[in-house]
Amino acid sequence: MNKEPILTGQHVSKYFGALRAVDNVDVEVYAGEILGIIGPNGAGKTTLLSMINGTLPITKGKIFFRGQEISGMRPYRIAELGISRTFQIVKPFPGMTALENVTLGALFGRNRERDMSRAMERAAETLKRVRIEGKEYVLVEKLNVSERKRLELARALTQNPDLLLLDEVMAGLNTREIEDIMALIQEVNRAGTTLMVIEHVMKAIMGISSRIVVLHHGQKIAEGTPAEISENRQVISAYLGEKYSRGMQET
Amino acid sequence: MFSQAIINGILFGAVYVCIGIGFSLAWGVMNIINLAHGSFIMLGAYVTYSLFTHLRIDPFLTTPISMFVLYFIGYASQKYLLNYVIRSSIFITLTFTFGLQILISNIALLIWTADYKSVAPSYAGEGLVIGDWVIPYIRLGIFIIALILTGLFYLLIVKTKTGKAITATALNLEGARTVGVDVAEIYARTMGISAALGGAAGALITPIMTITPFIGGPLVGKAFVVAILGGLGSTMGALVGGMVLGLAEQIGSLLLPSAYQEAIGFIVLVLVLVFRPQGIVGKQFY
Amino acid sequence: MRGLFSSGVQSVMVILNRKVYTTLFIAAFLAFAVFPYIASGFWIRLVTLIFLSAILAQGLNIIAGFTGYAAFGNMIFFGMGGYTVGVLMTKVQVSFLPSLFVSGIVGIVTGILLGMLLLRLKGHYFALASLGAAEAMRQILDNLTGLTGGAMGLTLPQMAGKPAQVNTNFYYIMFSLLVLSFAATYWMSRRRLGYALKAIKANEESADVMGINTTLYKIVAWSIGGLYTALAGGIYAYWFTFIEPATMFDVVVVVKLFVILLLGGSGTVMGPLYGAFIFEGISEIVWSRFLHLHLGILGILIILIIFFIPNGLIDTVRRGFSLKNIRDTIREQRV
Repeated sequence: MNKEPILTGQHVSKYFGALRAVDNVDVEVYAGEILGIIGPNGAGKTTLLSMINGTLPITKGKIFFRGQEISGMRPYRIAELGISRTFQIVKPFPGMTALENVTLGALFGRNRERDMSRAMERAAETLKRVRIEGKEYVLVEKLNVSERKRLELARALTQNPDLLLLDEVMAGLNTREIEDIMALIQEVNRAGTTLMVIEHVMKAIMGISSRIVVLHHGQKIAEGTPAEISENRQVISAYLGEKYSRGMQET
Repeated sequence: MFSQAIINGILFGAVYVCIGIGFSLAWGVMNIINLAHGSFIMLGAYVTYSLFTHLRIDPFLTTPISMFVLYFIGYASQKYLLNYVIRSSIFITLTFTFGLQILISNIALLIWTADYKSVAPSYAGEGLVIGDWVIPYIRLGIFIIALILTGLFYLLIVKTKTGKAITATALNLEGARTVGVDVAEIYARTMGISAALGGAAGALITPIMTITPFIGGPLVGKAFVVAILGGLGSTMGALVGGMVLGLAEQIGSLLLPSAYQEAIGFIVLVLVLVFRPQGIVGKQFY
Repeated sequence: MRGLFSSGVQSVMVILNRKVYTTLFIAAFLAFAVFPYIASGFWIRLVTLIFLSAILAQGLNIIAGFTGYAAFGNMIFFGMGGYTVGVLMTKVQVSFLPSLFVSGIVGIVTGILLGMLLLRLKGHYFALASLGAAEAMRQILDNLTGLTGGAMGLTLPQMAGKPAQVNTNFYYIMFSLLVLSFAATYWMSRRRLGYALKAIKANEESADVMGINTTLYKIVAWSIGGLYTALAGGIYAYWFTFIEPATMFDVVVVVKLFVILLLGGSGTVMGPLYGAFIFEGISEIVWSRFLHLHLGILGILIILIIFFIPNGLIDTVRRGFSLKNIRDTIREQRV
């Protein structure tokens, strides 16, 4: 892992009127790592991600990607710089097949294909990577949840991002499917993509992340390796309540 | 001059409130931009016209009758037509309500012909004179009834079972369905109420406008602006929206030739849409 | 190489096979090319009007069918184009072709300016704000009596030549615009622009995060459609030699165009042409006999079309007319 972070967020904040969805969060992502973002519901995880990729305008603070300030840029510009994301509730292009969905990804962004057949080939390869085989010509509406999640991932991957933001990609999947997608994420990471992953499935996120950041009520309450985090009192308190964490101390 | 413009703005604004409140309801609850709302208003006006011309009933007194008739027309339109296409794309629903609008206009054309009709009660042209200000009785009557209607509508929504079901459906369609609300029926009643309010507006405008089967179109334009300014589905919003539109037009016409009223309306509309899409009152629905 | 979106495409190519379709296409093209030599003036005018509707429908198709923005005020381009030609020819004594060229520029510029202002709005808001723009422009032109003749209208000079020859000339002018605009649309649909628009229509947020500059593409789309529509307006003005704001900015025309797109299939390249033929054909046959009922019949027709064939006739034929299909369609759309 490099010393210099490829993404830096300084005092990142998002206020909706009086509500501080994200409050003064500093975050760094290093090339090649998988940074896990966890926290109870409503902690501000998705909001943070949305500010990084430009979907939500930032209220205060700055975000830098490879030294360039990206806070306030439009999402398409950020995509062109090499950041891709998936959504918690998947947003495929309806009325189109799986292949068409991913091909669109290959036609745009900084590595866009100029040639349609090349774009379709690349899309087909990516679909293979995420293990959607034989369903290229199926309409997205007919795919199941696990396939749709992987399709969303494929569409982001086909743009060869440097930084991939995943938002609860495992939500709604069964144990087997979670294992599959964990393996996939690790493959993607080994191939060179840095990842920021929001997840609720504890075992999974602890298993694949190199580092973890914990958010609660919009603030960063902890940061460290999975081992450090799992013993952090504040984190436990945030998830399970004061009593439990105090109880833990006594054991 | 200026103060009379303000008074006129409020009085004219009252008409806009009536025109807009039903339209805003349909939009806020069902996400339907009912281009046929103008023809509901038109029919309400013709009902009043017929009653006035043949039975000599005062236009203000015919308001409940217009409302009654239009309730059923609105209810039926929703239950047997609109409910079946309600989930398609915008251009389909807009085109559909437009088709409904021209169909109704054509029917009105056949019944009443395209001749300009008007209603002139005995007190037309007279009014209160307070100092420099003139307040025509008819306009005053419209203003009072607009307030009464708004109040009654508010009570309906807040106090009655149907009203609460409507609010529930508007705020959370699936949730309402889950707790047993018959959404199709509630939608039909909502459109009935919306049309009834349109019918009332029609009754009220007869003394101040000439009636033709084609007055619906421009009226929907005004209703749209009222709904946007006030925020969809909100009673208070329609009240505010109508008044603001009335004032903006009256004051605007002091500064610019009145022939540019529509251009003013459009500019106001775009400014609101771009800078404050939730409307002046600022709530999505209650 | 076949392009994207062959899924869900309501193309006649899917019903007939490729060879048959191509042969029919070429035959039709040739037939249109020689039509004025074999038909009477009445039919030439009728087909010219059908071409006009097809061009206007295509202009709307690009912003509404491809991109998903229902521009109810699209006639603003028609009016601007028509009045540009009108004013230049009457007040500045410019001849037709340069005036038409300028009207095209006006169309593009209007698309850019209006687009920058309104394309940030979504759904219904956009539809009606664009209508508001058209209405406001109509009122402005109504009042610039010195320049435009106001509500009384503007009379343009007539094209020189015998009526029959002039008729034929306009047939070919309109046909040329039809061919050019449709060819351009076809070309666009096979390139990144066309795909970007389809992506925007399918899910604008996804398109944005995928690297598509949605604002730029939307404005380009509206300007292209605006260009076709403005040029058509300019030709119309010179053809009919009389224009007034009420007809040039008439919203009922846009509704007709939506019905044409519904009939022929929106978001397809040839849909506007099929739809225009079907619609104007019905118009001629049915409505010229029932003038006082024509609005009512249009209304009923709209209602029936939306109920039963909301995806276009071609798609319905492809899937087959059956009670089951109709019930499925209704079930997808009902409350």
